[in-house]
Amino acid sequence: MILAAFLICTAVASFLVAFSRTHGQMNAAAMGLAAVFLSLAVYILIFVPLPVNTFLVGNGFFFIDHLGLFEVMVATFLFFLATIYAKGYVGNLLESRELEEGSLKLFYIAWCLLELVIVLAFFADNLALFWIFAEMTTIISAMLVAILSAKENIDAALKYIFVASVAMIFAFVGFIFLFEITRSSLGTGSLNWTVLMAHASEFPPVMLTASFMLIFIGFAAKSGIFPFHTWLPEAHAKAPSAVSAVLSGVLLNVGIYGILRVFAIVHQTSAAAVIIPVLLVFGIFSMGIAAISMLPERNLKKLIAFSSIENMGFLLVGISVATPVAIFWVLYQVMAHAFTKASLFFSAGILHRQYRSDLSSDAPDNIHDVFRYQPLAAWGVILGGIAIIGMPPFMIFFSKFFILLELGSLSVFALAIILVLLFVASAALGYFVIRTFSQTTPDGEHVDLVPYRTPASMKAPIIFLVVIILVLGLMFPAGGDAFIAQIITELKF
Amino acid sequence: MTDAAFFDGIVKVLFVCVIVTSAYIITTKNLISLVRVYSLQSLVLFAIALALWWYTNEPVLLAIAILTLVFKVLLIPYFIASIQERIRIKRDIDFHFLSPTSSLLISLGLMIAIYITLSRILPGSVYNDTLFFFGAVIGISLVLMGMMVTFSRKRAITKVLGYLSMENGVLLFGIFATELPFIIEFLIVIDLVILILLTTILTVGIDSTLEEYHNRLHRFYLWEEMEESS
Repeated sequence: MILAAFLICTAVASFLVAFSRTHGQMNAAAMGLAAVFLSLAVYILIFVPLPVNTFLVGNGFFFIDHLGLFEVMVATFLFFLATIYAKGYVGNLLESRELEEGSLKLFYIAWCLLELVIVLAFFADNLALFWIFAEMTTIISAMLVAILSAKENIDAALKYIFVASVAMIFAFVGFIFLFEITRSSLGTGSLNWTVLMAHASEFPPVMLTASFMLIFIGFAAKSGIFPFHTWLPEAHAKAPSAVSAVLSGVLLNVGIYGILRVFAIVHQTSAAAVIIPVLLVFGIFSMGIAAISMLPERNLKKLIAFSSIENMGFLLVGISVATPVAIFWVLYQVMAHAFTKASLFFSAGILHRQYRSDLSSDAPDNIHDVFRYQPLAAWGVILGGIAIIGMPPFMIFFSKFFILLELGSLSVFALAIILVLLFVASAALGYFVIRTFSQTTPDGEHVDLVPYRTPASMKAPIIFLVVIILVLGLMFPAGGDAFIAQIITELKF
Repeated sequence: MTDAAFFDGIVKVLFVCVIVTSAYIITTKNLISLVRVYSLQSLVLFAIALALWWYTNEPVLLAIAILTLVFKVLLIPYFIASIQERIRIKRDIDFHFLSPTSSLLISLGLMIAIYITLSRILPGSVYNDTLFFFGAVIGISLVLMGMMVTFSRKRAITKVLGYLSMENGVLLFGIFATELPFIIEFLIVIDLVILILLTTILTVGIDSTLEEYHNRLHRFYLWEEMEESS
């Protein structure tokens, strides 16, 4: 029944957006929706005994388990902050006439719908249903990328759609394989997570391997894994920053979520022996490509986007280790990466507004005197950067440290490669920050730059997120530990 | 009336039709005939589904056939054709990486590779039934050939047709490799419709006439820069 609440609220919010006149009203409606979603997720967390699978009269289409709820918590929380941020950011886009008045309603309706389909994707019990919702997230978020309707944005959006959708078709072929597997070993075909998890050990490994590979292609493209990552830097760099934060913090998780779920099925059979090296290799390649691309990058948003690819690659490496401890820290890293990356994109958005090296995002950022004009954003990038490369005591340090520790007991060689790649990525980030932020104009010279008055709605989410990644890094609540441990038992690792 | 040999013959002829249409989609430069061929290919799929329904009496297949007829033979081609009229682009002569001849050769190679791979992977029940096995092979080949179109052509509208052709391949594979539930096919058609709506709207943005384009560039302060630099 609670799923109906999500649907109705989205309908109401879209309705309100459609009939509101000013940007403030639309943003308020979207913010209300985000708040309702977040509180619904918290309500499920506290009051509903999990897993729930007799939903909407036990049709087997939707269910809620710990993993789904975990992802939904992260997603709704980020959406809430991103909507607050959008108030100031989109307002400024309107003032500078980069976003047309007419597109504003479309933007907020798409925003609300995106939030809904992401929640539904995480609560879908049926693989095919999950697939269609994942496709919807691609399409709606591509719309949000294209909303600025400059040629580069449309190009980036089309590239995103084609790469992701073509790859997702392969995932669909993989589902047909999986369906045939269940039909021949169980009698009736099924694509339900719950059924698949219960009977996974009975499936023939050869066909399961083929099926996993095809599904992996699809979800790897969704989460920006090499060699399907080509859409990611452009889409992330050209989208409005509020959208970039959601793309990186939430949408990439959809792909990783799918891979993790299917891997949990494969893990129970002997096919895992073939799959694990594949995941490891793709993970390392993603990290390598990202780290090398980061080195010469002079555009902040693109740099952060490449860092997302690197982190997704690292998550894949973590999944490939496949011990309970590693999976625990993979989930932790999903959350940590989402929060950290969102704070980085929020800060980058402020710098973007200030220095206007906008549309042609291939061009290097023309950032100078950053501490004089935008000290908060500068510190946001610095602290976020420190957090993302995995310095203690921020959250990502712990997940990286423990995943690497687990990996070391598996293969020292892989560990060595990954350490080098992590070092290269950190160096690239540090190099960018030091070079760019140290550019100052001498005191006497006249600077032709109007300071951008950053509204509080853009500052607050950054401060909040940095505090969160610091506090959660210092002390992770015991309930959280138990919750993630519960996920691992459900995934049978 | 359920003459197995007759059914076998019919479906084989239809398979050849599918391959011919997909070869045409790979090589043609004329956008209008591209849409027509896609429509024809969907019609062949409709016929295959009908023949299978007649042979096996599974109501799901009839539903899939009707769905194919309504959406892929009629609605989607009509919509794309009307968009094409609006943006007034008749030919897509840009081929990235691949010339038509080499892409034909590659797709031949792909089909053989898929034949060999599938014969190792698919379970005996499908493999031993030649017709069903061929259906699966052609389905996957169609997916890969569609992907080739999507990545080797420049115009977004040709890419869309490549994607549509891929989806036809999935349908073919689904029909022959297993008994796909109707809901799944229905979902994928929904996906197609939404995807096409969006991509074509965006394409109008990109492929629209030059005049409109200049206005847009002007609004984003890009045009002045370009004038200065030129």
